[in-house]
Amino acid sequence: MSNSVTSSGSVDIQLLEERVSRFIRFGEGSFEELILAAHAFQRAWCGSYGTYCSNFETPKRWHDIPAIPVAAFRHTAIRSFPVAETVRFFRTSGTTGEGYGEHHFRTLELYRSAALGGWRNAGLPTANLFCLMPSPEESPNSSLSCMGGWLASKERFFLGRWDRLVRAISCEEKPALLFGTALAFLDLFEWLGHRELRLPAGSLAVETGGYKGTNRSLPKPELYVSFEKHLGIGADEIWNEYGMTELSSQFYSRGLANPHRGGAWVRALVIDPESGKECGDGGTGVLRIFDLANLGSCCALQTRDLAIRRGSEFELIGRDPAALPRGCSRAVDDILRQ
Amino acid sequence: MKTVERARALAWAAGFFPLLGPITADELLDLVRLEFGHAEILDGFRPYASGFSRVFPNDPILHVISGNTPHAGLQSLIRGLLLGAGNFVKLPSSGLREIEDFIKLLPPALAEKVATNPDLPEQWLRESRTCVVFGSDATIAHFRKVLPAEIQFEPHPHRISLGIVFDDLDGTSPELGAADVARFNQKGCLSPHDIYVAGDARSYAARLADALVQLERKDPRGDVTPHEAAEIADIRANYRFRSANDPRVALWESQDSTAWTVIYEQDSWFASSCLNRTVFVKPLPSDLASALGPALTWVAAVGIWPVTPENAERAAQLQPSRICPLGRMQNPPISWHQEGRQTLAPLARWVDFEPNLR
Repeated sequence: MSNSVTSSGSVDIQLLEERVSRFIRFGEGSFEELILAAHAFQRAWCGSYGTYCSNFETPKRWHDIPAIPVAAFRHTAIRSFPVAETVRFFRTSGTTGEGYGEHHFRTLELYRSAALGGWRNAGLPTANLFCLMPSPEESPNSSLSCMGGWLASKERFFLGRWDRLVRAISCEEKPALLFGTALAFLDLFEWLGHRELRLPAGSLAVETGGYKGTNRSLPKPELYVSFEKHLGIGADEIWNEYGMTELSSQFYSRGLANPHRGGAWVRALVIDPESGKECGDGGTGVLRIFDLANLGSCCALQTRDLAIRRGSEFELIGRDPAALPRGCSRAVDDILRQ
Repeated sequence: MKTVERARALAWAAGFFPLLGPITADELLDLVRLEFGHAEILDGFRPYASGFSRVFPNDPILHVISGNTPHAGLQSLIRGLLLGAGNFVKLPSSGLREIEDFIKLLPPALAEKVATNPDLPEQWLRESRTCVVFGSDATIAHFRKVLPAEIQFEPHPHRISLGIVFDDLDGTSPELGAADVARFNQKGCLSPHDIYVAGDARSYAARLADALVQLERKDPRGDVTPHEAAEIADIRANYRFRSANDPRVALWESQDSTAWTVIYEQDSWFASSCLNRTVFVKPLPSDLASALGPALTWVAAVGIWPVTPENAERAAQLQPSRICPLGRMQNPPISWHQEGRQTLAPLARWVDFEPNLR
């Protein structure tokens, strides 16, 4: 049934989109019922996922939905609708040598509802945003820029235009919110050098993303010390947004060592990589995410990020290649960097 | 101590470390002879060309040893001591028990020629005349930068290794390949990431998986860190998904653990393993050098089967520093030209004597 989706498929997905949208916006319905319906739909209409799922029994609980690895987006089109109905795709930032993946969308409405709903659920303000990322016009295939574009107008994007950012913030009296990638914040801090950009009292920062594909990295506590030093924002006023191009929803945590949580439409399990079973509370494993807003692709995603289970939430550890003892065996990044 | 006495003492101490493989005093003396022309040239002038020469260690030698590769560290120290050099050994921050234990087995005249420290005293950087560094590109770049220009610098960067099965008619090579994959849980530059197979590589992969099942019973891999287990789980998830959709890919994996993983991939392009007994099996292409791509630069050992001069010549086209039988990839002899160059000579200086013969 792979790519020969008929119009009946489109009708089904429209009905499901409406139900999922109402769940995200108004909480109508049941997560389990909706995600099992979404899974049945995706199993039928996404060819590669359907073939993969033929090795698994039909799940009765959301926990048992077969998850696809995020890398699958690099190898094949994870799409549960006819290709002709694609309105947009976002491109993943690949690790060195791994190539890029694409996340295809039939509509951006669920992504928009999930992104804005998650932001609101975290209690983050939408006024006075300063985005440290490319604007949607500059980077049309970036899911993060797309999200930023829903939160702020295009003149509020300042990546690499730090003198303009400083001038704009200097005129502010109300609390500001700086939203950007950790890498962009590092760039800004380097540009500032010994200077401090004084923000209005009550200002916040939201940092996201790692350092994938770059040679740069900084442990989170050290990064947050730099926020204090350069922007006068303490760790408790800094939020981390955990998301990825392959997902439509995000998780948020405040300060250091607090758990991440998401909206009612997205859940995470921490899976023991040895047994493949869910870790007990306090156990460390890899994150498996069930995102209802990923209706057009695949709702169940196996990430490569480590986390500690904290009840139904998780404390993110992430993926740290430096934590992998390799003896004197050369790593792929080191081979390709030459 | 004369060279022969040092060689005997070192061979005796090395005998307590099976990871070094058998090392005899004769082999050590032979190494001196092979690199300098005379086994006693470190003890005094010996005939050389139309005159005489002798060799002194270019010491003190600073050895910067990386973590969890005691084998390489011990070999480096043995070379220094064989030359009669004074040695500074910069240990990993967590120490390295094998080095400490080895020193305790040495006679006082040799033991006093070794100082160890998990830190790097400034004095060591000032006084050393040769520096041997095992480590990542970043570690090597760091030492290249901080060491005085006049110091002889011997870097040992991280490398990769692979196996080639030209023919498996006798059916023994999967067991040999499994042994190489399991030794030190692949954490060494001599551990194979990929095994290239002429003929039916897919069926070879299945047999390699069977051999790893047997090996796990006799020699369990043991625990790995959550980060390591997560990497294995990730690579398995990727190939499990791909194998469901692509007959050119297949996966064999231990159940309810990450103990071992075999991935068959028809694409011959070199794949880097996440280690801990995770190995790729690929068809041997007609042009293996091209299939290795940028990894070609970093090949250390190629384990071959069957071991014939013809197969060695074929593997030599990759210009690895070592071609050996599959199953013995982790047992390099002390005479191995690590990095494709001599190992004693760069740590020494020649003194030539031209007698007045008229």
